[in-house]
Amino acid sequence: MKLVIDENRCKGCNLCTQVCPYRIFSPGARANRKGILVPVLDRPERCTNCRLQALYGRTLCGVCQLTCPDQAIGWVSERPYEPVRIEVEY
Amino acid sequence: MTFTDWLRADRLPHIWCSGCSNGTILNCTLAAVEAEGWDRDRTVFVSGIGCSSRAPGYVATDSLHTTHGRALAFATGVKLAEPSLNVVVFTGDGDLAAIGGNHFIHACRRNVDMTVVCMNNLIYGMTGGQGSPTTPLGALSTTTPYGASEPAFDLVALAVAAGANHVARWTAYHVKELEKAVKTGLETPGLSFIEVRAGCPTNYGRKNRIREVTDMADHFRTRSMLKTKYDRLVAEGKPVPADAIVVGEFVRRANPAMGVAP
Repeated sequence: MKLVIDENRCKGCNLCTQVCPYRIFSPGARANRKGILVPVLDRPERCTNCRLQALYGRTLCGVCQLTCPDQAIGWVSERPYEPVRIEVEY
Repeated sequence: MTFTDWLRADRLPHIWCSGCSNGTILNCTLAAVEAEGWDRDRTVFVSGIGCSSRAPGYVATDSLHTTHGRALAFATGVKLAEPSLNVVVFTGDGDLAAIGGNHFIHACRRNVDMTVVCMNNLIYGMTGGQGSPTTPLGALSTTTPYGASEPAFDLVALAVAAGANHVARWTAYHVKELEKAVKTGLETPGLSFIEVRAGCPTNYGRKNRIREVTDMADHFRTRSMLKTKYDRLVAEGKPVPADAIVVGEFVRRANPAMGVAP
């Protein structure tokens, strides 16, 4: 799973920067198309739900998603990691 | 399946201000409803007028957006006409305590089987920050520029005295506890009243030196006191801070309820 912020919904209140136990969110510095400072993600792969959601089959932690007043935080599924195969032609 | 499936994605982003706690409370309520496993076609959300009462408009179920203060009266009608429906009421402090105060105490007295989530932001947020019956003593608002001089309503004590079956209070900072409290409320037959202290940085915080959203969350975190600790302090005769927000479950009982599906 991958943590994402919906830039269309976020209003830049920075509540997520306060609640995450891993401090993944940090206040944004660059205004987006709507002039909102969307928080930036610092190594989001550390998120508990990103790592263990597939293993447990339920949402773990999820405090940022519950707290976000603008319903902007969510997870998208991504393909599992596959090591790149290199085929050598002789 | 998460609670986001209950949202009307085409209506978002919503109109609430940046940092308004109403969105958080909506998330927690929907998460509880989702965990309860209710059918979306058999659930009705009812609200009155105000910022908080826009919440059902963002939920993908049947909803009633009714007249000011009369959300509980309409919800009682829905529940008694069709007891198999699950009814959840979103309401604000101005809606529930001021103009709808009488409906509130009589809904508690009748113990109608529904869950009432009150987003108490201590002010009339939508109309420009006028003082409401729950504005604490000394707080500044548009209509109390020298500090509120009247004592505030204690909605939890009112609901307990009027006979509600489950009464709890949490703040918008305590999301997991709030979700659990709402879930307990959904499971309890009879009226379940959950008062949630909500932050209004735009109108309440701006006048009371908690303008930043993160400061508002800190305000809730530092001033909250669990009910067990409060009871212990009172029993030992120790002083309790005047601005403490007592949180926790206040009452859970099994009085006869009205409108429970047979």
